[in-house]
Amino acid sequence: MTSKLTYMGTIGLAAFSCVAAAPAFAAAGTTAGTQIINTATVNYQVGGIAQGSQNASNTIMVDRRVELLVEEDGTTTTEVSPGQTNAVTTFRLTNKTNEILDFALTASQISGIAAAHGGTDSFDVTNVRIYRDNPAGAGVGTYDASDTLVAYADEVGIDASIRLFVVADIPAGLGTNAVAGVRLTATAAEGGTAGSPGALVTQTAGANTAGKDTVFADAAGVTDAARDGSHSDDDDYTVKTATLTVTKSSRVVSDLVNGTSNPKMIPGAVIEYCIAVANATGGVAATSVAITDSVPTQLTFVPSTIKLNGTVTGTTCDFNGTAGGSYAAPVVSGTLPTINPGQTLTLVFQATVN
Amino acid sequence: MRTALFLILAALMPGQALAANQVALDNSVFIERVMTDAAGKQRVLLEEPKVVVPGDKLLFVLNYRNAGAQPADKFVITNPLPSAVRFADAGDTQPLVSIDGGRAWGRLGELTVQQADGTRRAAQPADVTHIRWAFQKPIPAGASGKLMFRGVVK
Repeated sequence: MTSKLTYMGTIGLAAFSCVAAAPAFAAAGTTAGTQIINTATVNYQVGGIAQGSQNASNTIMVDRRVELLVEEDGTTTTEVSPGQTNAVTTFRLTNKTNEILDFALTASQISGIAAAHGGTDSFDVTNVRIYRDNPAGAGVGTYDASDTLVAYADEVGIDASIRLFVVADIPAGLGTNAVAGVRLTATAAEGGTAGSPGALVTQTAGANTAGKDTVFADAAGVTDAARDGSHSDDDDYTVKTATLTVTKSSRVVSDLVNGTSNPKMIPGAVIEYCIAVANATGGVAATSVAITDSVPTQLTFVPSTIKLNGTVTGTTCDFNGTAGGSYAAPVVSGTLPTINPGQTLTLVFQATVN
Repeated sequence: MRTALFLILAALMPGQALAANQVALDNSVFIERVMTDAAGKQRVLLEEPKVVVPGDKLLFVLNYRNAGAQPADKFVITNPLPSAVRFADAGDTQPLVSIDGGRAWGRLGELTVQQADGTRRAAQPADVTHIRWAFQKPIPAGASGKLMFRGVVK
């Protein structure tokens, strides 16, 4: 400590001018409308006698800096099946403004351009809706019954981040790797009244006013410009389906003359049919694949010869499998529980030539 | 610029020693903005605090003058930092600072902050709560000067 500091101790009781109670400081910064009052105080002596202290103050008001962020929540596409309803993509909306705001929300579809996770947008989803995730309790982060269908984001707090689900239906008849891109755009709107959407925020034009001015400070989104009070991001749906191809082959097992040695296709001969179902690679598993085949009138079905889940070697049927299926004249039926992508499974049955 | 100048006269002062309004103090604030000019050079511009948003750099300027006929001794200017402003630096004006609401004072480099685990770390500009300039020599009659410090809007 220097002698000057000791001296400071004797006058350390000089009255400070009062400063307003400290507001909470978040990353968004000082809340808009806060007054910064800076006051300096002079204490001095004249002729060894302390004189009245003097203050000098100035006041500035913190203006409103509008900044928001729309981000896809996650890094992968949403895989969907043709005809699926309520397919979900997830976004986060963060209010980085130094004031509580509402946000107008728009979920739109991109068309014919590169989607967020590769591929090119090739179809549109239908029945697009936006849901706001429940902020607490069960099911946070998951689209479920406790989420709220919204047209705008109501009263998003300073530095608060909310999760939004874009929910849509997928048309039927789409092939694997068809892509639909969706874009969520949020635009700053005046907050302050819970339960009703505020008017869109406008930037203060022209000169500064004595009151609270508004400055847009948001970054550019995927399509919106920087400093426009909006932000946007893309996510997408990618169709993953099973593409099945069916081939049918047959062989002569035996005839009444040659037995099983080089049997010929003569009356009384036993024919074995193989129906092979192949699921293309790159898609998803097909389940509950039902196969039916009508036995021609020139043939008679051999009871209890239906075999399911047989295999092929290359493209040649192995005529194997496990017993199953059913026969209701003249139709042979059987169900293959699961065919994985790239897999081929068979239904096999026998009939005799009339 | 909305600058208010308040004068507070202590009513209890003995009348004959009171030279009212002998010292004039003026407090003003500017925003520092770094602009890149056409030649690509960066220039620091001082602007009136029109649009002020979090993150802006503020320059506070205190002008003092001894308007009286006698020297002003033990001349001390104290400036509590507004709660929405984080201290940055005071240029070469060498102030004393307080990091505990005005109880203890020292040079920023000499002060330490007790941390939750009991150890002490060097005080940072962001810890400063008050700034004080204490003049060791009397301010002669008619003399004036300028002090400054910088802060950032939280």
